Amino acid sequence: MANEADAQKTLVDARGSSCPGPITDLAMAYRRAKKGDVIELWGTDPGMPPDVKAWAEKTHNEVVSIETQADKIVAVVRILNR
Amino acid sequence: MERVLIVGAGAGGTMLANALDPRRFEVTVIGASADHLFQPGLLYVAFRGASARRLARPERQLLRRSVRFVQEAVTRIDLNRHSLTTAAQQQFDYDTVVIATGVVTDRAQIPGLAAWGERIGDYHSTVAEAQKLWRALAAFRGGTIALGQSTPLIKCPPSPIEGILLTDALLRRRGRRAQSKLVFLTPYPRAYPAEAMNAILEPVLRARGIEIRTVFDVDQVDAASGAIRSLEGDTLACDLPILIPPFAGAAITYEPAGVVDNDRLLKTDKTTLRVQGVEHAFALGDATNLPTSKAGVGAHLEAKVIARQLNGEAAAFSGRTHCPVDLADGRGTFVIGSYAAAVVPCRPTRMRHWMKMAMARIYWISLRGWLEPMFDWYFARTAPEKLAGGATARP
Repeated sequence: MANEADAQKTLVDARGSSCPGPITDLAMAYRRAKKGDVIELWGTDPGMPPDVKAWAEKTHNEVVSIETQADKIVAVVRILNR
Repeated sequence: MERVLIVGAGAGGTMLANALDPRRFEVTVIGASADHLFQPGLLYVAFRGASARRLARPERQLLRRSVRFVQEAVTRIDLNRHSLTTAAQQQFDYDTVVIATGVVTDRAQIPGLAAWGERIGDYHSTVAEAQKLWRALAAFRGGTIALGQSTPLIKCPPSPIEGILLTDALLRRRGRRAQSKLVFLTPYPRAYPAEAMNAILEPVLRARGIEIRTVFDVDQVDAASGAIRSLEGDTLACDLPILIPPFAGAAITYEPAGVVDNDRLLKTDKTTLRVQGVEHAFALGDATNLPTSKAGVGAHLEAKVIARQLNGEAAAFSGRTHCPVDLADGRGTFVIGSYAAAVVPCRPTRMRHWMKMAMARIYWISLRGWLEPMFDWYFARTAPEKLAGGATARP
Protein backbone atom coordinates (compact mmCIF):
# COMPACT_ATOMS: atom_id res chain seq x y z
CA MET A 1 0.00 0.00 0.00
CA ALA A 2 1.29 3.44 -0.87
CA ASN A 3 2.39 5.78 1.84
CA GLU A 4 0.39 9.01 2.11
CA ALA A 5 3.66 10.92 1.91
CA ASP A 6 4.26 9.49 -1.59
CA ALA A 7 0.87 10.70 -2.83
CA GLN A 8 1.09 12.87 -5.90
CA LYS A 9 -1.08 15.57 -7.33
CA THR A 10 -1.54 15.40 -11.09
CA LEU A 11 -3.04 18.12 -13.27
CA VAL A 12 -4.86 16.81 -16.35
CA ASP A 13 -5.81 19.45 -18.91
CA ALA A 14 -8.67 18.18 -21.10
CA ARG A 15 -9.96 21.58 -22.19
CA GLY A 16 -11.40 21.49 -25.71
CA SER A 17 -11.94 17.75 -25.66
CA SER A 18 -15.52 16.82 -26.52
CA CYS A 19 -15.07 13.40 -28.09
CA PRO A 20 -14.01 11.10 -26.53
CA GLY A 21 -14.04 13.79 -23.82
CA PRO A 22 -12.45 14.63 -20.45
CA ILE A 23 -13.52 11.31 -18.89
CA THR A 24 -10.96 9.59 -21.15
CA ASP A 25 -8.19 11.72 -19.71
CA LEU A 26 -9.41 11.08 -16.17
CA ALA A 27 -9.52 7.31 -16.77
CA MET A 28 -6.02 7.37 -18.30
CA ALA A 29 -4.68 9.30 -15.27
CA TYR A 30 -6.42 6.75 -12.98
CA ARG A 31 -4.48 3.90 -14.65
CA ARG A 32 -1.22 5.59 -13.72
CA ALA A 33 -2.29 6.71 -10.24
CA LYS A 34 -1.80 5.03 -6.89
CA LYS A 35 -3.85 5.10 -3.73
CA GLY A 36 -3.91 8.55 -2.13
CA ASP A 37 -3.06 10.46 -5.33
CA VAL A 38 -5.11 13.49 -6.27
CA ILE A 39 -6.08 14.19 -9.88
CA GLU A 40 -7.16 17.70 -10.86
CA LEU A 41 -9.06 17.58 -14.15
CA TRP A 42 -9.71 20.64 -16.31
CA GLY A 43 -12.31 20.50 -19.03
CA THR A 44 -14.79 22.53 -21.03
CA ASP A 45 -17.28 19.80 -21.97
CA PRO A 46 -20.61 20.49 -20.22
CA GLY A 47 -21.10 16.74 -19.68
CA MET A 48 -18.02 16.60 -17.45
CA PRO A 49 -19.55 17.10 -13.93
CA PRO A 50 -22.13 14.26 -14.10
CA ASP A 51 -19.57 12.00 -15.83
CA VAL A 52 -16.94 12.55 -13.17
CA LYS A 53 -19.49 11.84 -10.42
CA ALA A 54 -20.77 8.68 -12.11
CA TRP A 55 -17.24 7.49 -12.78
CA ALA A 56 -16.06 8.13 -9.20
CA GLU A 57 -19.09 6.38 -7.72
CA LYS A 58 -18.58 3.24 -9.80
CA THR A 59 -14.80 3.13 -9.34
CA HIS A 60 -15.11 3.89 -5.59
CA ASN A 61 -12.97 7.01 -5.73
CA GLU A 62 -13.74 10.34 -4.09
CA VAL A 63 -14.83 13.56 -5.77
CA VAL A 64 -13.27 16.27 -3.59
CA SER A 65 -14.82 19.14 -5.58
CA ILE A 66 -16.29 20.13 -8.93
CA GLU A 67 -16.35 23.79 -9.78
CA THR A 68 -17.60 25.54 -12.90
CA GLN A 69 -15.42 28.58 -13.54
CA ALA A 70 -15.71 31.25 -16.23
CA ASP A 71 -13.37 29.52 -18.68
CA LYS A 72 -13.29 25.92 -17.48
CA ILE A 73 -14.68 23.21 -15.23
CA VAL A 74 -12.32 21.96 -12.52
CA ALA A 75 -12.82 18.58 -10.84
CA VAL A 76 -10.59 17.29 -8.04
CA VAL A 77 -10.65 13.53 -7.48
CA ARG A 78 -8.85 11.56 -4.75
CA ILE A 79 -7.88 8.01 -5.65
CA LEU A 80 -8.97 5.58 -2.94
CA ASN A 81 -9.30 2.38 -4.93
CA ARG A 82 -6.15 1.40 -6.74
CA MET B 1 13.95 25.64 -51.85
CA GLU B 2 12.67 24.86 -48.40
CA ARG B 3 13.35 21.25 -47.42
CA VAL B 4 10.28 19.67 -45.80
CA LEU B 5 10.74 16.24 -44.26
CA ILE B 6 7.58 14.27 -43.49
CA VAL B 7 8.07 11.32 -41.16
CA GLY B 8 5.30 8.77 -41.72
CA ALA B 9 3.45 7.73 -44.86
CA GLY B 10 -0.13 7.31 -43.66
CA ALA B 11 -3.15 9.41 -44.63
CA GLY B 12 -1.91 12.66 -43.07
CA GLY B 13 1.71 12.47 -44.28
CA THR B 14 0.69 11.52 -47.81
CA MET B 15 -1.97 14.24 -48.10
CA LEU B 16 0.41 16.89 -46.82
CA ALA B 17 3.20 15.84 -49.20
CA ASN B 18 0.81 16.08 -52.16
CA ALA B 19 -0.56 19.45 -51.01
CA LEU B 20 2.79 21.28 -51.00
CA ASP B 21 3.79 23.27 -54.09
CA PRO B 22 6.77 21.48 -55.72
CA ARG B 23 8.09 24.84 -57.00
CA ARG B 24 8.54 26.07 -53.44
CA PHE B 25 9.23 22.96 -51.40
CA GLU B 26 11.59 20.03 -51.70
CA VAL B 27 9.46 17.34 -50.06
CA THR B 28 10.72 14.00 -48.72
CA VAL B 29 8.46 11.39 -47.14
CA ILE B 30 10.11 8.73 -44.96
CA GLY B 31 7.90 5.72 -44.24
CA ALA B 32 8.68 2.43 -42.53
CA SER B 33 6.57 0.41 -44.98
CA ALA B 34 6.51 0.34 -48.79
CA ASP B 35 2.73 -0.17 -48.68
CA HIS B 36 0.02 2.21 -47.50
CA LEU B 37 -2.87 0.58 -45.61
CA PHE B 38 -6.47 1.85 -45.60
CA GLN B 39 -6.86 1.20 -41.86
CA PRO B 40 -10.68 1.44 -41.55
CA GLY B 41 -10.90 -1.60 -43.85
CA LEU B 42 -9.56 -3.89 -41.10
CA LEU B 43 -13.03 -3.82 -39.47
CA TYR B 44 -14.59 -5.66 -42.42
CA VAL B 45 -11.69 -8.10 -42.76
CA ALA B 46 -12.19 -9.10 -39.11
CA PHE B 47 -16.01 -9.18 -38.89
CA ARG B 48 -17.13 -9.92 -42.45
CA GLY B 49 -14.19 -11.87 -43.83
CA ALA B 50 -13.74 -9.19 -46.52
CA SER B 51 -10.84 -9.51 -48.93
CA ALA B 52 -7.75 -7.49 -47.98
CA ARG B 53 -6.61 -7.28 -51.60
CA ARG B 54 -7.75 -3.67 -52.09
CA LEU B 55 -6.75 -2.39 -48.65
CA ALA B 56 -3.12 -1.59 -49.47
CA ARG B 57 -1.30 0.18 -52.30
CA PRO B 58 2.37 1.02 -52.84
CA GLU B 59 3.03 4.40 -51.20
CA ARG B 60 5.21 5.49 -54.13
CA GLN B 61 2.17 5.41 -56.45
CA LEU B 62 0.15 7.60 -54.09
CA LEU B 63 2.65 10.48 -54.01
CA ARG B 64 3.21 13.14 -56.66
CA ARG B 65 6.25 12.38 -58.77
CA SER B 66 8.11 15.41 -57.38
CA VAL B 67 7.94 14.00 -53.84
CA ARG B 68 10.88 11.84 -52.80
CA PHE B 69 9.88 8.65 -50.97
CA VAL B 70 12.35 6.82 -48.75
CA GLN B 71 11.40 3.50 -47.20
CA GLU B 72 13.26 3.48 -43.89
CA ALA B 73 12.43 3.28 -40.20
CA VAL B 74 13.34 6.50 -38.39
CA THR B 75 15.03 5.91 -35.04
CA ARG B 76 16.10 9.36 -33.87
CA ILE B 77 14.99 12.94 -34.52
CA ASP B 78 17.16 15.78 -33.26
CA LEU B 79 14.81 18.75 -33.27
CA ASN B 80 17.55 21.12 -32.12
CA ARG B 81 19.92 20.29 -34.98
CA HIS B 82 17.20 19.73 -37.62
CA SER B 83 18.35 16.26 -38.47
CA LEU B 84 17.10 12.70 -38.23
CA THR B 85 18.64 9.25 -38.35
CA THR B 86 17.21 6.00 -39.72
CA ALA B 87 17.72 2.38 -38.66
CA ALA B 88 20.18 2.02 -41.57
CA GLN B 89 22.18 4.96 -40.10
CA GLN B 90 21.24 7.32 -42.93
CA GLN B 91 21.01 10.95 -41.91
CA PHE B 92 18.56 13.52 -43.30
CA ASP B 93 18.63 17.27 -42.65
CA TYR B 94 15.61 19.53 -42.97
CA ASP B 95 14.31 23.06 -42.71
CA THR B 96 10.89 21.92 -41.45
CA VAL B 97 9.90 18.49 -40.12
CA VAL B 98 6.38 17.11 -39.87
CA ILE B 99 5.91 14.09 -37.63
CA ALA B 100 3.05 11.90 -38.85
CA THR B 101 4.13 8.46 -37.67
CA GLY B 102 0.79 7.31 -36.28
CA VAL B 103 0.72 4.87 -33.36
CA VAL B 104 1.33 1.15 -32.99
CA THR B 105 -0.69 -1.29 -30.91
CA ASP B 106 1.07 -2.57 -27.82
CA ARG B 107 -0.51 -5.67 -26.23
CA ALA B 108 2.28 -5.92 -23.64
CA GLN B 109 0.66 -3.14 -21.57
CA ILE B 110 -2.15 -5.50 -20.44
CA PRO B 111 -1.08 -8.78 -18.76
CA GLY B 112 -2.48 -11.77 -20.64
CA LEU B 113 -3.42 -9.78 -23.75
CA ALA B 114 -0.38 -10.86 -25.75
CA ALA B 115 -1.30 -14.54 -25.30
CA TRP B 116 -4.90 -13.92 -26.44
CA GLY B 117 -3.83 -11.67 -29.29
CA GLU B 118 -1.52 -14.42 -30.49
CA ARG B 119 -4.53 -16.76 -30.61
CA ILE B 120 -7.38 -14.57 -31.86
CA GLY B 121 -5.78 -11.40 -33.32
CA ASP B 122 -7.44 -7.97 -33.22
CA TYR B 123 -8.84 -5.39 -35.67
CA HIS B 124 -6.60 -2.41 -34.85
CA SER B 125 -3.18 -3.75 -35.84
CA THR B 126 -2.54 -5.36 -39.24
CA VAL B 127 -4.30 -7.26 -42.02
CA ALA B 128 -2.87 -10.56 -40.69
CA GLU B 129 -4.23 -9.87 -37.18
CA ALA B 130 -7.67 -8.95 -38.57
CA GLN B 131 -7.73 -12.18 -40.62
CA LYS B 132 -6.83 -14.12 -37.47
CA LEU B 133 -9.81 -12.56 -35.66
CA TRP B 134 -12.08 -13.51 -38.57
CA ARG B 135 -10.93 -17.14 -38.29
CA ALA B 136 -11.57 -17.09 -34.52
CA LEU B 137 -15.10 -15.73 -35.06
CA ALA B 138 -15.78 -18.24 -37.83
CA ALA B 139 -14.79 -21.09 -35.50
CA PHE B 140 -16.97 -19.79 -32.63
CA ARG B 141 -19.82 -22.19 -31.90
CA GLY B 142 -21.47 -20.47 -28.91
CA GLY B 143 -20.67 -19.12 -25.45
CA THR B 144 -19.76 -15.63 -24.27
CA ILE B 145 -17.98 -13.02 -26.37
CA ALA B 146 -16.78 -9.91 -24.56
CA LEU B 147 -15.69 -6.99 -26.75
CA GLY B 148 -14.33 -3.63 -25.76
CA GLN B 149 -11.34 -1.35 -25.51
CA SER B 150 -8.56 -2.34 -23.13
CA THR B 151 -7.59 1.27 -22.32
CA PRO B 152 -9.58 4.52 -22.23
CA LEU B 153 -7.61 5.97 -25.14
CA ILE B 154 -7.84 4.15 -28.48
CA LYS B 155 -7.90 5.06 -32.17
CA CYS B 156 -11.33 5.46 -33.75
CA PRO B 157 -13.61 5.74 -30.65
CA PRO B 158 -16.69 4.29 -32.45
CA SER B 159 -14.86 1.09 -33.45
CA PRO B 160 -15.74 -0.93 -30.30
CA ILE B 161 -19.46 -0.31 -30.93
CA GLU B 162 -19.05 -1.20 -34.60
CA GLY B 163 -17.20 -4.39 -33.59
CA ILE B 164 -19.91 -5.65 -31.21
CA LEU B 165 -22.74 -4.79 -33.64
CA LEU B 166 -20.98 -6.58 -36.51
CA THR B 167 -20.34 -9.59 -34.23
CA ASP B 168 -24.05 -9.68 -33.42
CA ALA B 169 -24.95 -9.52 -37.13
CA LEU B 170 -22.45 -12.27 -37.96
CA LEU B 171 -23.80 -14.63 -35.29
CA ARG B 172 -27.38 -14.00 -36.44
CA ARG B 173 -26.45 -14.80 -40.05
CA ARG B 174 -24.77 -18.00 -38.92
CA GLY B 175 -27.71 -19.02 -36.71
CA ARG B 176 -25.51 -18.91 -33.59
CA ARG B 177 -26.92 -15.87 -31.82
CA ALA B 178 -29.25 -17.88 -29.55
CA GLN B 179 -26.30 -19.88 -28.18
CA SER B 180 -24.19 -16.75 -27.63
CA LYS B 181 -24.04 -14.04 -25.01
CA LEU B 182 -22.53 -10.74 -26.12
CA VAL B 183 -21.05 -8.36 -23.55
CA PHE B 184 -19.87 -4.87 -24.44
CA LEU B 185 -17.19 -3.49 -22.09
CA THR B 186 -16.37 0.18 -21.72
CA PRO B 187 -14.30 2.22 -19.26
CA TYR B 188 -16.83 5.07 -19.64
CA PRO B 189 -20.03 5.62 -17.63
CA ARG B 190 -22.07 4.80 -20.80
CA ALA B 191 -21.72 2.84 -24.02
CA TYR B 192 -20.47 5.78 -26.10
CA PRO B 193 -18.46 8.51 -24.34
CA ALA B 194 -20.16 11.49 -26.05
CA GLU B 195 -23.63 11.80 -24.50
CA ALA B 196 -25.45 13.06 -27.62
CA MET B 197 -24.41 10.01 -29.64
CA ASN B 198 -24.80 7.60 -26.72
CA ALA B 199 -28.50 8.49 -26.69
CA ILE B 200 -28.67 7.12 -30.24
CA LEU B 201 -26.25 4.18 -30.01
CA GLU B 202 -26.97 2.63 -26.59
CA PRO B 203 -30.62 1.76 -27.46
CA VAL B 204 -29.34 0.02 -30.62
CA LEU B 205 -27.06 -2.22 -28.52
CA ARG B 206 -29.87 -2.99 -26.07
CA ALA B 207 -32.34 -3.78 -28.86
CA ARG B 208 -29.92 -6.41 -30.15
CA GLY B 209 -29.63 -8.10 -26.78
CA ILE B 210 -26.09 -6.92 -26.05
CA GLU B 211 -25.22 -6.61 -22.36
CA ILE B 212 -23.39 -3.37 -21.53
CA ARG B 213 -20.79 -3.26 -18.71
CA THR B 214 -19.89 0.38 -18.01
CA VAL B 215 -16.89 1.69 -16.03
CA PHE B 216 -15.03 -1.54 -16.72
CA ASP B 217 -11.38 -0.61 -17.08
CA VAL B 218 -9.43 -3.67 -18.21
CA ASP B 219 -6.59 -4.59 -15.85
CA GLN B 220 -5.66 -8.07 -17.12
CA VAL B 221 -6.87 -11.09 -19.07
CA ASP B 222 -6.45 -14.65 -17.84
CA ALA B 223 -4.17 -16.21 -20.44
CA ALA B 224 -5.84 -19.61 -20.09
CA SER B 225 -9.56 -18.99 -19.42
CA GLY B 226 -10.06 -15.61 -21.11
CA ALA B 227 -11.65 -14.10 -17.98
CA ILE B 228 -11.17 -10.33 -17.86
CA ARG B 229 -10.42 -8.50 -14.63
CA SER B 230 -11.02 -4.77 -14.21
CA LEU B 231 -9.09 -2.15 -12.27
CA GLU B 232 -12.26 -1.73 -10.21
CA GLY B 233 -11.94 -5.37 -9.07
CA ASP B 234 -14.72 -7.00 -11.17
CA THR B 235 -14.20 -10.22 -13.13
CA LEU B 236 -16.00 -11.18 -16.33
CA ALA B 237 -15.85 -14.79 -17.50
CA CYS B 238 -15.87 -15.18 -21.29
CA ASP B 239 -14.84 -17.59 -24.04
CA LEU B 240 -13.64 -15.00 -26.54
CA PRO B 241 -12.13 -11.77 -25.14
CA ILE B 242 -11.96 -9.43 -28.15
CA LEU B 243 -10.04 -6.47 -26.72
CA ILE B 244 -8.73 -3.50 -28.66
CA PRO B 245 -5.09 -3.29 -27.58
CA PRO B 246 -3.50 -0.19 -26.05
CA PHE B 247 -1.20 1.81 -28.32
CA ALA B 248 1.98 3.82 -28.10
CA GLY B 249 3.66 6.37 -30.36
CA ALA B 250 6.43 5.28 -32.74
CA ALA B 251 9.66 4.01 -31.17
CA ILE B 252 11.68 7.13 -31.97
CA THR B 253 14.18 8.85 -29.68
CA TYR B 254 13.67 12.60 -29.65
CA GLU B 255 16.05 15.38 -28.78
CA PRO B 256 14.85 17.12 -26.60
CA ALA B 257 13.22 14.09 -24.94
CA GLY B 258 10.47 16.21 -23.35
CA VAL B 259 8.54 16.68 -26.63
CA VAL B 260 6.71 13.37 -26.09
CA ASP B 261 4.39 12.29 -23.26
CA ASN B 262 4.13 8.95 -21.37
CA ASP B 263 2.51 7.26 -24.40
CA ARG B 264 5.25 8.63 -26.72
CA LEU B 265 2.72 11.05 -28.28
CA LEU B 266 4.04 14.42 -29.48
CA LYS B 267 3.03 17.37 -27.31
CA THR B 268 1.34 19.41 -30.00
CA ASP B 269 -0.28 22.86 -29.97
CA LYS B 270 -3.94 22.12 -30.55
CA THR B 271 -4.57 24.84 -33.12
CA THR B 272 -1.20 25.57 -34.81
CA LEU B 273 -0.10 21.88 -34.70
CA ARG B 274 3.45 22.93 -33.88
CA VAL B 275 5.44 20.63 -31.61
CA GLN B 276 5.58 22.46 -28.28
CA GLY B 277 8.83 24.10 -27.33
CA VAL B 278 10.76 23.63 -30.60
CA GLU B 279 11.00 25.58 -33.86
CA HIS B 280 10.20 24.31 -37.37
CA ALA B 281 8.45 21.13 -36.27
CA PHE B 282 4.82 20.13 -36.70
CA ALA B 283 2.92 16.97 -35.79
CA LEU B 284 -0.35 15.57 -37.09
CA GLY B 285 -2.74 12.63 -36.84
CA ASP B 286 -2.55 9.80 -34.32
CA ALA B 287 1.07 10.68 -33.43
CA THR B 288 -0.09 13.78 -31.50
CA ASN B 289 -1.57 14.26 -28.03
CA LEU B 290 -4.36 16.52 -29.39
CA PRO B 291 -7.59 16.35 -27.35
CA THR B 292 -9.65 14.98 -30.24
CA SER B 293 -10.46 11.56 -31.72
CA LYS B 294 -7.66 9.64 -33.38
CA ALA B 295 -9.19 9.14 -36.83
CA GLY B 296 -8.41 9.69 -40.51
CA VAL B 297 -10.54 12.81 -40.74
CA GLY B 298 -8.35 14.55 -38.16
CA ALA B 299 -5.15 13.70 -40.03
CA HIS B 300 -6.76 14.97 -43.26
CA LEU B 301 -7.85 18.33 -41.83
CA GLU B 302 -4.60 18.78 -39.91
CA ALA B 303 -2.55 18.19 -43.08
CA LYS B 304 -4.46 21.08 -44.69
CA VAL B 305 -3.79 23.38 -41.74
CA ILE B 306 -0.04 22.63 -41.84
CA ALA B 307 0.13 23.08 -45.63
CA ARG B 308 -1.45 26.52 -45.34
CA GLN B 309 0.93 27.59 -42.58
CA LEU B 310 3.93 26.45 -44.62
CA ASN B 311 2.54 28.62 -47.43
CA GLY B 312 2.65 31.59 -45.06
CA GLU B 313 -1.11 31.74 -44.53
CA ALA B 314 -2.86 31.85 -41.16
CA ALA B 315 -4.66 28.61 -40.39
CA ALA B 316 -5.91 26.92 -37.22
CA PHE B 317 -7.16 23.39 -36.56
CA SER B 318 -10.69 23.37 -35.14
CA GLY B 319 -10.53 19.90 -33.55
CA ARG B 320 -13.20 18.73 -35.97
CA THR B 321 -14.27 15.08 -35.84
CA HIS B 322 -16.47 13.31 -38.36
CA CYS B 323 -16.19 9.63 -37.48
CA PRO B 324 -18.45 7.14 -39.27
CA VAL B 325 -20.31 4.45 -37.30
CA ASP B 326 -21.65 1.30 -38.99
CA LEU B 327 -24.75 0.01 -37.19
CA ALA B 328 -24.51 -3.35 -39.03
CA ASP B 329 -28.12 -3.11 -40.22
CA GLY B 330 -27.55 -1.12 -43.41
CA ARG B 331 -27.56 2.20 -41.55
CA GLY B 332 -24.72 4.45 -40.55
CA THR B 333 -24.17 7.65 -38.63
CA PHE B 334 -21.34 10.06 -37.80
CA VAL B 335 -19.82 11.42 -34.60
CA ILE B 336 -19.48 15.12 -35.34
CA GLY B 337 -17.89 17.62 -32.97
CA SER B 338 -14.98 20.05 -32.52
CA TYR B 339 -12.97 21.75 -29.78
CA ALA B 340 -15.60 24.48 -29.54
CA ALA B 341 -18.77 22.48 -30.22
CA ALA B 342 -19.95 19.46 -28.24
CA VAL B 343 -20.82 16.32 -30.23
CA VAL B 344 -24.18 16.76 -31.99
CA PRO B 345 -26.85 14.09 -32.41
CA CYS B 346 -26.75 12.52 -35.87
CA ARG B 347 -29.57 10.19 -36.88
CA PRO B 348 -28.57 6.84 -38.46
CA THR B 349 -29.59 6.55 -42.12
CA ARG B 350 -28.89 4.32 -45.11
CA MET B 351 -27.36 7.30 -46.89
CA ARG B 352 -24.77 7.75 -44.14
CA HIS B 353 -23.82 4.08 -44.31
CA TRP B 354 -23.40 4.43 -48.07
CA MET B 355 -21.14 7.44 -47.46
CA LYS B 356 -18.87 5.41 -45.19
CA MET B 357 -18.63 2.69 -47.83
CA ALA B 358 -17.99 5.28 -50.56
CA MET B 359 -15.04 6.69 -48.57
CA ALA B 360 -13.25 3.32 -48.88
CA ARG B 361 -13.42 3.72 -52.66
CA ILE B 362 -12.49 7.39 -52.96
CA TYR B 363 -9.76 7.19 -50.31
CA TRP B 364 -6.92 6.63 -52.78
CA ILE B 365 -7.72 9.61 -54.98
CA SER B 366 -8.54 11.77 -51.97
CA LEU B 367 -4.89 11.32 -50.89
CA ARG B 368 -3.87 13.22 -54.03
CA GLY B 369 -5.98 16.22 -52.99
CA TRP B 370 -8.21 16.12 -56.05
CA LEU B 371 -11.42 15.92 -54.03
CA GLU B 372 -10.65 18.85 -51.71
CA PRO B 373 -13.39 21.16 -53.10
CA MET B 374 -15.95 18.42 -52.39
CA PHE B 375 -14.61 17.81 -48.87
CA ASP B 376 -14.51 21.57 -48.11
CA TRP B 377 -18.16 21.87 -49.15
CA TYR B 378 -19.20 18.78 -47.21
CA PHE B 379 -17.38 19.64 -43.97
CA ALA B 380 -18.74 23.22 -44.05
CA ARG B 381 -22.27 21.88 -44.56
CA THR B 382 -21.95 19.44 -41.65
CA ALA B 383 -20.09 21.75 -39.20
CA PRO B 384 -21.18 20.94 -35.61
CA GLU B 385 -21.81 24.64 -34.90
CA LYS B 386 -24.40 24.59 -37.70
CA LEU B 387 -25.98 21.34 -36.63
CA ALA B 388 -26.24 22.25 -32.92
CA GLY B 389 -29.44 23.64 -31.49
CA GLY B 390 -31.74 20.67 -31.95
CA ALA B 391 -31.35 20.13 -35.68
CA THR B 392 -30.03 16.72 -36.68
CA ALA B 393 -27.37 16.44 -39.35
CA ARG B 394 -28.27 16.03 -42.99
CA PRO B 395 -25.96 13.94 -45.13
